[in-house]
Amino acid sequence: MTTPHQPSSFRPTADGSPAPAQQPMWRLERATHGRLDLIDAVGQRHVDVDVLRAFPASAPAGPVAVVAADGAELAWIDPLSDLDEPLRRLLEQELSQREFLPVIERIESVSDGEPMEWGVVTDRGLRRFTVAHIDDIVYAPDGSVSITDSVGVRYAIPQLSRLDSRSRRLLDRLD
Amino acid sequence: MPDSISRIASASDGSLPPGTGPGTGPGAGDRFELESGEKIVASCRFDLDANLRFADGSIVLTDRRLVADPPASADGEPASAGGLRSWRLDPTTSIDVHLRSAVGRIELSQQGRVVARWLFTPARAKGVHALEDAFDARGHGQPVPPSDADVDADADETPKPAAPAGGKSLSEDEPGPPGGMGASWRALARVLSFARPHASMATLGIFLTLASTAAALVPPYLTMPLVDRVLIPKQAGEPIPFSQVLWYLSGLALAAILAWLLSWARSWTLAWVSERIAAGLRVKTYAHMQTLSLDFFSGKRTGDLMSRVGSDTDRINIFLSVNLIEFASDVMLVLLTAAVLIWINPWLALVTLAPFPLVVWLVYAVRKGLRRGFARASVAWADMTSVLADTIPGIRVVKAFAQEAREVDRFVAANDRVLDANDRVNVVWAFFGPLVSLFSEIGLLIVWVAGAWMVFSGSVTVGMLTAFLTYISRFYGRIESMIHMVPATQRAATSAQRIFDILDCQPSVAEAARPINPGRVRGRIEISNLHFRYGAREILHGIDLTIEPGEMIGLVGTSGSGKSTLANLVCRFYDPSSGSIKIDGRDLRELSITAYRRNLGCVLQEPFLFFGTIAENIAYGCPTEETVDADELRRRIVAAARAAGAHEFVLAQPLAYDSRVGERGGSLSGGERQRLSIARALLVDPRILVLDEATSAVDAETEAIIQAAIDRLVAGRTTIAIAHRLSTLRRANRLVVLDHGRIVEMGTHDDLLAAEGAYARLYHAQQKAAEEAAAGA
Repeated sequence: MTTPHQPSSFRPTADGSPAPAQQPMWRLERATHGRLDLIDAVGQRHVDVDVLRAFPASAPAGPVAVVAADGAELAWIDPLSDLDEPLRRLLEQELSQREFLPVIERIESVSDGEPMEWGVVTDRGLRRFTVAHIDDIVYAPDGSVSITDSVGVRYAIPQLSRLDSRSRRLLDRLD
Repeated sequence: MPDSISRIASASDGSLPPGTGPGTGPGAGDRFELESGEKIVASCRFDLDANLRFADGSIVLTDRRLVADPPASADGEPASAGGLRSWRLDPTTSIDVHLRSAVGRIELSQQGRVVARWLFTPARAKGVHALEDAFDARGHGQPVPPSDADVDADADETPKPAAPAGGKSLSEDEPGPPGGMGASWRALARVLSFARPHASMATLGIFLTLASTAAALVPPYLTMPLVDRVLIPKQAGEPIPFSQVLWYLSGLALAAILAWLLSWARSWTLAWVSERIAAGLRVKTYAHMQTLSLDFFSGKRTGDLMSRVGSDTDRINIFLSVNLIEFASDVMLVLLTAAVLIWINPWLALVTLAPFPLVVWLVYAVRKGLRRGFARASVAWADMTSVLADTIPGIRVVKAFAQEAREVDRFVAANDRVLDANDRVNVVWAFFGPLVSLFSEIGLLIVWVAGAWMVFSGSVTVGMLTAFLTYISRFYGRIESMIHMVPATQRAATSAQRIFDILDCQPSVAEAARPINPGRVRGRIEISNLHFRYGAREILHGIDLTIEPGEMIGLVGTSGSGKSTLANLVCRFYDPSSGSIKIDGRDLRELSITAYRRNLGCVLQEPFLFFGTIAENIAYGCPTEETVDADELRRRIVAAARAAGAHEFVLAQPLAYDSRVGERGGSLSGGERQRLSIARALLVDPRILVLDEATSAVDAETEAIIQAAIDRLVAGRTTIAIAHRLSTLRRANRLVVLDHGRIVEMGTHDDLLAAEGAYARLYHAQQKAAEEAAAGA
């Protein structure tokens, strides 16, 4: 495998070499209006950066990327737990805001056909949403279900078997 | 004429001593004998005479002579000269084969003059070309075995323009079993062979069918004594024997419950078996399809193949689990009923069963009419599905040209054909069903008349008559349902035939008998005297090229010059007609196909993304047996994506690497999809890389990004790159210019420009076009 090309502004760890608690050559700063800025190794400030997980569904604890507003990658952290405490807390805080994932506790109604109108009770309250296509409902082998609505919001059912029987029936009917 | 050919062929083993060969008599103008030590090298047949009339003839090439019979089909000489003629081979002898249209020409020249000319149709092209190759190879001192395909099997010679060497073709538009009922039953019997793994369950099912049928026959039998010994004596004023009544009634109830339980068990058992037969068929068909070579798929409509694996197996399942079970129990019921009737009273039974042969004949007669109807209906149905399979993937073209109405019309036309075919079947069917009802009514009437008369004469009791009437109404009821078996059988047999058509296809790229696992190859590719023929057309005429490990070769040439064909041959999507490709000194055909392809990476013009996440798509080629833990795999995926220049746009997707992409890549642009497919190739870390127009579908700016990714991909790997845009090949160590299947130039960009040959012309033309485009913009 060719060595992955990486931004020069941070120490590479993506090649799998065991890294001790990271002392990155960049730092993050909480700016006004909750904005996050990254100051890189050469002291350049990148304003309003985005923190995101590379594998949010299949490896939520896996690598995290910090990208600039224009999409350019500024930092790559793999895994997050290698970072020292204050920086990690800051990133996790940022990620939790980004990762809005309501958990469906009960399904009230699902309309027939496509698009489907859903009425659900989530851990964040009642919600009605539209699912464009049956493929937007993804059943994972571990028994969890992920539903993406037509505007891109994701909903999770952590364990299908723990759902009440009426909700399960409504889901079953879709296949 | 075939006679003489078979004798010629039989002499080809060279074991016949001179003079003992067949037909040495004076009158035998169409035979020839071998001289001492002479060996037959090749033979072929031609099929046209000088006036382009169909006439058979043959040419035999020995190591000394060319013998033809008749001497020539076109040479100015009268073709009726008869007999055979031979020409001694000398250094000036040459054989030229021209095949441009439906008529091909073999020319034999000596001393620079054409001495004989034969004509043939493309049906004979394979054999003719084999002879030509053998003639050419003779000069190289390589004996070529005679092509036996051409000598012994005439039936194999039907022209198949879409099928190159090997590969039995699949009749696409004629799914109906041509051989009639015999073929239907053969196909269905073959389906049943898939029940073998479940033989015990199948046997149990058959036993249960027999038992449940027998149980169903008990109740009418019990009504007989009930009427004779209880009801009629009661009418005559005798007391009711309650113990007997209880006995009969509980017997009736018990028989009914038993019949219900048994048929329940029977249905479940046989449905279980037939589900497994259908599932087995589906897997076997799909798995077999995966082993077939590319040429199989290029000639097929996707919709047709999909319906063969999907609906045809399902139809067989329904036939086995519903129709066949019903039919079997019907047959048993009819036979058992007949036996019981004869046992009760043979004479009344005879009268009762009298109309039966008539019904059987009727079924037979109607079946013939229905068979053709059903075959036509299923062709119409397949056409209709094909319209859908055509249009839906091409929906953007349809909309862009505002042809929605036309597509609807096309569908309506196909749908009308389905309607029409079904109407025709229904006409027969609608007439036939009620007719059988009429027969059963008549049968009932006969029993009433004959039975009543026999009751009057005292030979039959009222109870017997009651039992007969119950039996006979069931009997005809069964016959009626047996007739439903006719269309079901036809449909199932058609479906079975369509599935076996696929299963009987042999892959034209066959695995070696003892495949060698090449492991990880170094990547040296030696191509020597490579010829490739697709149908009758020769696409590559003797390519010689050696590519060193890690070298990048750019293939240049106009469309149709054979670039892609050469790349396909290196991928072993096809096998060469003659000549060889060696990898690290081993013939490609000796290697295990899958083990070899593990060394191979392909980036094609149209990147294909499977339905799944981006991560899954990048990891698609990752060998599954390789134990890589999930974290390590993710690291590799990210590294490959970075190298392919895909990392950042992947991060911009809603779920980054876990974002789902559709059939054709969904929301990703062409350039993004191409970079994912480059990442896919990078992840398998191939030794040999084939880039087939990898950048031609994207704009210039994207091309620059992709080009950077490709440069990383190419490093250290043996690479064959094809590109229309010569600028994409700037990193190539050598450029190979192909023209009409031949290498015309080879060298570096600068060498070729200096040589001012074909490459230079192509390059300047592109430069000029680019300048004009820039000036225009």
